[in-house]
Amino acid sequence: MKQLIAVLGLYSAVASGGTIFSGAYPDWVLVIDEAQGKVVDRIHLATGLPRGLRLSYDRKSIIVSTNDHSGFEVLDVATRKITSHFVLDDATHRYRINGGAPDPEGKLLYASTIEITKQTDRYTIGKPQYTIIDMAQQKIVKTVDQPEDEGGRGGRGGGGGRNGGGFEVSPDGKYLYQFGSTVTVMNSSDFSIVEKIELAQPDAPAIENLGLGGLLEAISQPGEHVAVFNFSDPIVHNRVFGLGRFDLNTRKFDFTPMGPAPVAMTNLRITPDKKTGYTVVTNGTLGNKRCEFWGLDLSTSRLARTGEVPCRSRYSFGMSSDGKKLYMYGAGFEIDVYDAVTFQHEATWDLNNDMTGSMVVLP
Amino acid sequence: MKHLRAVNKKARRIDEMASAPRQDVEGDVFALQNPQNPAPPRPHVPMGCALAFSPGWEVDSSGGTAGLCQPVERDIYDCYVTCFWPAQVPDHLNNYPDWANKCASATKDWRNLDLVFP
Repeated sequence: MKQLIAVLGLYSAVASGGTIFSGAYPDWVLVIDEAQGKVVDRIHLATGLPRGLRLSYDRKSIIVSTNDHSGFEVLDVATRKITSHFVLDDATHRYRINGGAPDPEGKLLYASTIEITKQTDRYTIGKPQYTIIDMAQQKIVKTVDQPEDEGGRGGRGGGGGRNGGGFEVSPDGKYLYQFGSTVTVMNSSDFSIVEKIELAQPDAPAIENLGLGGLLEAISQPGEHVAVFNFSDPIVHNRVFGLGRFDLNTRKFDFTPMGPAPVAMTNLRITPDKKTGYTVVTNGTLGNKRCEFWGLDLSTSRLARTGEVPCRSRYSFGMSSDGKKLYMYGAGFEIDVYDAVTFQHEATWDLNNDMTGSMVVLP
Repeated sequence: MKHLRAVNKKARRIDEMASAPRQDVEGDVFALQNPQNPAPPRPHVPMGCALAFSPGWEVDSSGGTAGLCQPVERDIYDCYVTCFWPAQVPDHLNNYPDWANKCASATKDWRNLDLVFP
């Protein structure tokens, strides 16, 4: 019996045979085998330091955005080879790129950019722009100035990350959705606004945006975006968090309030069977900070389980390909692995290489 | 400062502004709620990379060290790449793109970081 328990314990300490792709310093994508908890391959990036990894719509390739010269590289998931790469910078122009969402055909990339032009005596910083990048032509094919009242920090200007929220593209490619403090629906052809839905702003600046996160992993099924978010009522300003479902086809928005909002929450990670979602909530700040795993029952929209977890000062949250393990990683070179049922720490994977904070997990 | 007297419009405006009660920090009561609204005033620290040449320092968003990564070397690359955090590191984007090329994990082999002579 003891042998059986030991074998089961050993089996439970490893996740299934999924693969993690993670950006790493200074110019690598690490390929990590979930079963072994080890780096099994390293993919060199010719254009420099990876900042964002984005899965294509068909899940066959990963688009890696790099920092050094505003570059993009397309990584084929099956062969683990870079199939194309290019940079946008030239001798007199640099770009600051945020977001970056591929269209369903994988031909275009929608992003927000700020152009920096080197003049003879100065640098000129351009206005935030919505940008379409043609992956075949390997250049910017269209830019549209962002509205003055919403550009820059705090508005839609970020295009991705904490400030602006990330893009999603509708299944038919006609609409763009930008998720941040508001959900903004735009025509993909000219970035004209079709509709806006106001959400509440998160209070803690040092954690992922609490609005409807823009990561592709948060999509529970094609055409639907599921995430946790908060709001406050206009009378007593009581802050409440809940579960939001956004249909990318019909633009219908469904919200189920769940309880008092904590100070901060990470993005929601949804299990492959679509029944459970996990997030990490933070209460308190700095030295008083405490973190908990929260397991949400998505069928009833209720908080099913909680468990305290020793959180790092700054971290990212992920989930294994089979939904049985939870990952806390960054900043640094380790991934802490937790059991999704018991919330107990099971292992620490030492990658021997600092990660850049972006991760894609595939079965 | 009572021996100073404003003699022109700009000085009078500064005097009025300085003598006016600060609504953001005074004249209000904060209960033990979390988070506070409005938020308390934040410390003034130099932002970005290598604006102040005090090698080795890094502070968190409150001006202290309780919110820093442990050890702080875990955080060194995000300070270096984005210049988001106030820290004494060179900047990746403009001047020192190769600073960390020989150092995959700053916590383990920070001695391999390149030397910088600004």
